[in-house]
Amino acid sequence: MRSEVREALIAKLTALADDEVILAHRNSEWTGHGPILEEDIALANIVQDELGHATLWLGLRQQLDGSDPDRLVFFRDADEYRCCALVELPKGDWAFTMLRQYLFDLYEALWLEAARHSSYQPLADAAQKIIREERFHLQHTHAWVERLGQGTDESNRRLQQALDMQWGYAQQLFVPIPGEELLVAEGMVPDLALIKEGWLEHSTRHLRNAGLKLPVNPGYQPTTRTYHTEHLWSLLAEMQSTARWDAEAEVW
Amino acid sequence: MDTQWPRWEVFKQDTPSKPHQAVGSVHAADPEHALLTARNVFARRPQAVSMWVARADDIHSWTREELLEGFPKVRADASLAPGRYLVFRKTSHKRSMTFVDFVGEVEARSPEEALVQAQATFGDLEALVWWIVPAEKVYRSDPSQETLESWFAPAKDKTYKQQQYYATVGSHVSKHRGGRGVEDEE
Amino acid sequence: MPAKYGVPSDPDYNERLAEFEARIKRGEKIEPGDWMPEEYRRQLIRMISQHAHSEVVGMLPEGAWITRAPSLKRKMILVAKVQDEAGHGQYLYHAAETLGIRREAMIEALLTGQAKYSSVFNYPTLTWADVGVIGWLVDGAAIKNQTMLAQCSYGPYSRAMVRICAEETFHHKQGKEMVLLYAKGTPKQRRMAQDAINRWWWPALMMMGPHDKDSPNTEVLVRWGIKTKTNDQVRQEFINEHVPEILEAGLTLPDPHLRYDPSTGNWLHGPINWEEFWQVVKGNGPMNKERLEARRRAHAEGAWVREALEAYAAKKRRTAVAV
Repeated sequence: MRSEVREALIAKLTALADDEVILAHRNSEWTGHGPILEEDIALANIVQDELGHATLWLGLRQQLDGSDPDRLVFFRDADEYRCCALVELPKGDWAFTMLRQYLFDLYEALWLEAARHSSYQPLADAAQKIIREERFHLQHTHAWVERLGQGTDESNRRLQQALDMQWGYAQQLFVPIPGEELLVAEGMVPDLALIKEGWLEHSTRHLRNAGLKLPVNPGYQPTTRTYHTEHLWSLLAEMQSTARWDAEAEVW
Repeated sequence: MDTQWPRWEVFKQDTPSKPHQAVGSVHAADPEHALLTARNVFARRPQAVSMWVARADDIHSWTREELLEGFPKVRADASLAPGRYLVFRKTSHKRSMTFVDFVGEVEARSPEEALVQAQATFGDLEALVWWIVPAEKVYRSDPSQETLESWFAPAKDKTYKQQQYYATVGSHVSKHRGGRGVEDEE
Repeated sequence: MPAKYGVPSDPDYNERLAEFEARIKRGEKIEPGDWMPEEYRRQLIRMISQHAHSEVVGMLPEGAWITRAPSLKRKMILVAKVQDEAGHGQYLYHAAETLGIRREAMIEALLTGQAKYSSVFNYPTLTWADVGVIGWLVDGAAIKNQTMLAQCSYGPYSRAMVRICAEETFHHKQGKEMVLLYAKGTPKQRRMAQDAINRWWWPALMMMGPHDKDSPNTEVLVRWGIKTKTNDQVRQEFINEHVPEILEAGLTLPDPHLRYDPSTGNWLHGPINWEEFWQVVKGNGPMNKERLEARRRAHAEGAWVREALEAYAAKKRRTAVAV
């Protein structure tokens, strides 16, 4: 593998993993505080799956550069993280969390469908594994968006507020990272522009069916994963606090 | 005011060669939501290949003791077209994590008539409890391969939830009578 | 079928009670729909709902550390464990519901402070090692109780307990694994593990309830096949199993009176501070108010969500009928 392709692949795997780690973290904040027991159980399932996905992606990176996944997750500073801004946003209310999860799950399911054909076998295999869980997540959040959108005036209003806030951020899911074009050329990852078409089509149809309006002004649309929201620093401070408290510890 | 959503009984089929078994209930708002919820609550660990749900209110239940005290009056209105009923049965007092097992279907014009049919049709073992449910009130998980892969297969990989994953076995674990931590009692 | 709950003033009460107790003695399970004394039902609702509340409130002390778990694996494991606790609460509410009480009513009793839950969860989790110690000691105590209850005469409770037992062993083992690891780890990890043991040992012992002589419910619970061992019996078993392992790990116990009695094979413990226990049970423990407040808030903030799904379901039913 050419070194610039390898570098690009390492960066992409890191971005994929970082999205899962931070989103899982935000979702995990609901544990014990969900609107009903059954939904606590449901969201905890999504969290475990996402942590598993992060582990898979970082495992692939480890094969390339020997890096330790836990070291990457618990000892990188905010400016070294490569997650998108959408996942950093605070969890908000239940509508906010369900909408974000839907937008993300739809993107991920479409991306993984295509990524199963990656010319890089380990990535193809990982995608094949992850998509099984992702399909269930999407069914779940798809159902929630419909129910909250069509439920009561209040649930519709809250979901609309969430969409107004998130729509612009969600577009960043389709912004390639530096070097990604090399990976696309090699057939290692899908072309995000194509994924975006499918995502726009499915999401706008479903959101409209749910009784929502797409925001006229999408708001801020981040274009880089190098700079983050104000939230990431504090999020990481909490997330990494135990690990950093005893940095000598090799095993937890 | 009840805000905890209606109760749905859940039936889980562990493998294609086993019957659906009542495993407990979930609170959910509608059939699709009930199936998704049942999967989250009862398929966290293997095994499962299929799940059914039915509103608790739609289930007609009789224990052996109740039947001995007085068989329900069979209201079979001849003008009604017969419908399909699913029959579930418990036949053992043995300690278990599941309740009634699916035994089959009957056609009848009322739940009481279905019970009569069930006793005649499934009389091989003494039933301790009968559950009769109208077929159209039972909602089933999709049987396709894709659903099997996304709903039920992933639990197999979550070995970190299995007690065998943890290397430290103290002598006290084997001393536990019954608390073996084995996945399915059967 | 509506169940029959007998009261002593019923003309056939004694006859039915005799048959009921004979059934239990024969090892039969009492199922929803069978005759049972109203007192049996009342005791079971109390026990089962308390047990359910304990699982749900029990999500909070460990749940607080999910966001600070120090490795991907530990985070995943902790989420799975806390998820199980929600699931266990769920199975138990179901078992109680078969006795004719609605989940809404049970939750209301908890949130208004009328219903009790295991007081062990009114203590704070101050360090990451608390998560391991809770798994080892608190779940260890719970397992002893649950294994006994799996033989309970009431079918739905027995079944819930069998399912819970199967899942709980992982909780116990992952906790033990963590503490043993830290006991042999860095100096900071070792100090953290010992500190957690020091704070959780006595609350864990109190989990098994007051001494037998101070436990009024025990007799009828034993006669009706709900309890098969007394509090002190279970507590002694727990101590005999866990003390040697804790000592073997190089940790100590915060009990200067603890000693082994070779004539009985029992580890004898020092006096339990029952004054503290009753204060915590009454609501004056370190976290009582916070725990209930967290549950109240979740319930209140979730109201619009629950209503939304009811509304959606109602709309769907109307359109189904209209077609």
